[in-house]
Amino acid sequence: MKNIKWVNILLSVCSIGIFVVLWVVLSGQEGSMVPTPAATLEKFLQIMADPIANATLPAHIWASLQRVLIAFFFAVVLGVALGIGIGWSKGFNALFGPLFEMLRPIPPIAWIPVIILWFGIGELSKWVIVFIGSFVPIVLNTSAGIRAIDPLMISAGKVLGANRKQLLVDVAFPATIPAILAGIRTALSSGWMCVVAAEMIVARQGVGFLIVRGQESGDTALIVVCMLAIGVVSFLLSTILQKMEGVLCPWQFSETKL
Amino acid sequence: MAVLRDKIVIKNLSKTFASKKNSVEVLKDINLTVKENEFLVILGPGQCGKTVLLNILAELDEQTSGTVEFADGRPKMGDLGLVFQRYALFPWKSVMGNVEMNQKLKGVDKATRQANAQKYIDLVGLQGFEKALPKQLSGGMKQRVGIARAYASESDIMLMDEPFGALDAQTRYSMEDEILKIWEKNKRTVIFVTNNVEEAIYLGDRIILLGGHPTSVKKEYIPEMPRPRNYTDQAFLRLRNEIVADTDLSL
Amino acid sequence: MKQNKKLKLVLLSILGLVLFFGIWECSVRFGLVSERTLCAPSTALETLFTKMVEKKPDGATIPVHFLASIKLSLSGFLLAIVIGIPLGLFMGYYKVLDSLFTPLFEIIRPIPPIAWIPIIILTMGIGFNAKVFIIFVSAFVPCVVNSYLGIKLTNQTLINVAKTFGASRWQVFTKVCIPSSMNMVFTGIRISLGNSWSTLVAAEMLASTQGLGYMIQIGRSLSRPEIIIVGMAVIGVTGAIMSGLLSLCEKKVAPWRYK
Repeated sequence: MKNIKWVNILLSVCSIGIFVVLWVVLSGQEGSMVPTPAATLEKFLQIMADPIANATLPAHIWASLQRVLIAFFFAVVLGVALGIGIGWSKGFNALFGPLFEMLRPIPPIAWIPVIILWFGIGELSKWVIVFIGSFVPIVLNTSAGIRAIDPLMISAGKVLGANRKQLLVDVAFPATIPAILAGIRTALSSGWMCVVAAEMIVARQGVGFLIVRGQESGDTALIVVCMLAIGVVSFLLSTILQKMEGVLCPWQFSETKL
Repeated sequence: MAVLRDKIVIKNLSKTFASKKNSVEVLKDINLTVKENEFLVILGPGQCGKTVLLNILAELDEQTSGTVEFADGRPKMGDLGLVFQRYALFPWKSVMGNVEMNQKLKGVDKATRQANAQKYIDLVGLQGFEKALPKQLSGGMKQRVGIARAYASESDIMLMDEPFGALDAQTRYSMEDEILKIWEKNKRTVIFVTNNVEEAIYLGDRIILLGGHPTSVKKEYIPEMPRPRNYTDQAFLRLRNEIVADTDLSL
Repeated sequence: MKQNKKLKLVLLSILGLVLFFGIWECSVRFGLVSERTLCAPSTALETLFTKMVEKKPDGATIPVHFLASIKLSLSGFLLAIVIGIPLGLFMGYYKVLDSLFTPLFEIIRPIPPIAWIPIIILTMGIGFNAKVFIIFVSAFVPCVVNSYLGIKLTNQTLINVAKTFGASRWQVFTKVCIPSSMNMVFTGIRISLGNSWSTLVAAEMLASTQGLGYMIQIGRSLSRPEIIIVGMAVIGVTGAIMSGLLSLCEKKVAPWRYK
């Protein structure tokens, strides 16, 4: 049994090894566009210190993150509100449900041109794009979560004397928190993708801008560094949220036994 | 035994579930009187509409015809204790949070409602577990919380919908003793629904057997045995056989 | 009583849509919003019909753009399914493949598909193959990850039942694990479909001379909101239709998902 475990670890190391070797071989060929690992590392160290377009890599990442966090905040507040409305009240659902269903299939990226036309190429348009990207999954998850509440919970609430408002605040809402958190996680990764896309199309700062700068100047090392940076940030965001889930709703996510 | 006052009188109660395609009559002409402070067991095979009957009493559902009269007026929502088969505890609330929920919803201040809840947590023997979340508790303990929560409504009527149906046999026996102990200490009118004949005989002051399609009251039994009753007692077994013979075979 | 309530809800729905389009139309008609930034829905509808045959201003009619986009996205998407699902299934079942490939996926997974576009354009150009590859990347990861999870989540009891019936390792895989993973596999396909469609739009906006994404991008640079709105509508409707078709497939292949 222990042997098998070692074999697996060895295989995992092998796989990373093969990956690196492939990278070296691909980048080592004459006229290859792929940067060598060494060149990539060097580029990384360079842009950590030397600014490109007046900002170092951390500054670009922070510019992108800031856009995401601001828009994300509004998306959570409004998305949860709309999701609860749609899931809880039949009238509200009848009024807004079809509208939402009509706009939902449009990918957030397809909004970029019209948003730029409306709000220009400043910060506001980036916030709106990220907002659209994160708003939709939050609404979907919240409303689905409200509709999927165990009817037993509602019965228990009624029997304990909850009026309709208390039923929503004290029973339905807490019961939906796990679904809302799942929506928030999807929303954050979608928002991160949107900010990169928006910055790739028009921006003067941010990782999306940086990656396009790399493309325009044929600097593939810069592109690869940006890709990895984008990946690491997105990984960190989802890890932080996962940790928060355990704190915010221990009855669902954390494994505490007496 | 002293003559007990009628607490709930159910007259000609029927319930039909209608959908677009067909309608199913579940309960037909149920006539039933529940005495004050008695432990009444309603016994019936699975899917016979026992839960529907309780839901009508708890106003979670509405009868198609017939009447339900409460001696002291129909209790408002929240003034009636109901114990659910699948516990129905709020998973995000601690034991204390679940038990105090009723009074919290009624707007009772925190100190009062928690003192009150503590009384019932002690009653069901869960002192020390006030802060635990339901998922940390065993099935038997969960249902103790369910019982404490129902008791904390301070209602004099307790409805119990197969409360031990999801427990394993050993836990079930000990919970049966427990519920009788609680009831002896804190007398209330109990309507206890079950599909288990032994449980019915072990617990009930009176047993109402339901059956037929649609369901109606088939027969009434009074197990005249002192408590604690013995499952292997001659009288117990005789009554058991009698009830089994009268019971519809459930599919 | 009940009928009445239903009728009220239907009326509310209609009211919601009418109000939306009404306010939109009026705000443009009465000059509250400049026609340079937003067109009236009636204008958009008109544009939709004229653009069916009119090549201006973006060089192709809607059907041509549409076919170009569909061809691209379906090629990438189908390729991802054909390669990704078997890979994910095998990775989930065979430990060797699991430890060989999983670390790689853990590295690739967090990178949003859009971030692949620049490097692919630089190394492969902006031809058909490059774009198919971009879409393939975006659709591939969810296919693999979900198929993998589907196998990993197979109920151990079912596997044990099959083993006591004398099933071989391969039979356990094909007769138990694969059918029970279908749920997750379809979740993966659904995510892949969404990804490939939205990545397509991004790729066409960034580097293309055809396709719906290109069309809305041109609409922006020429400040022609009606072109953008029509493009968005076509993109949205197509996306909705594709996901509807996928649901139909799902009902055929995994009917136990539906009661």
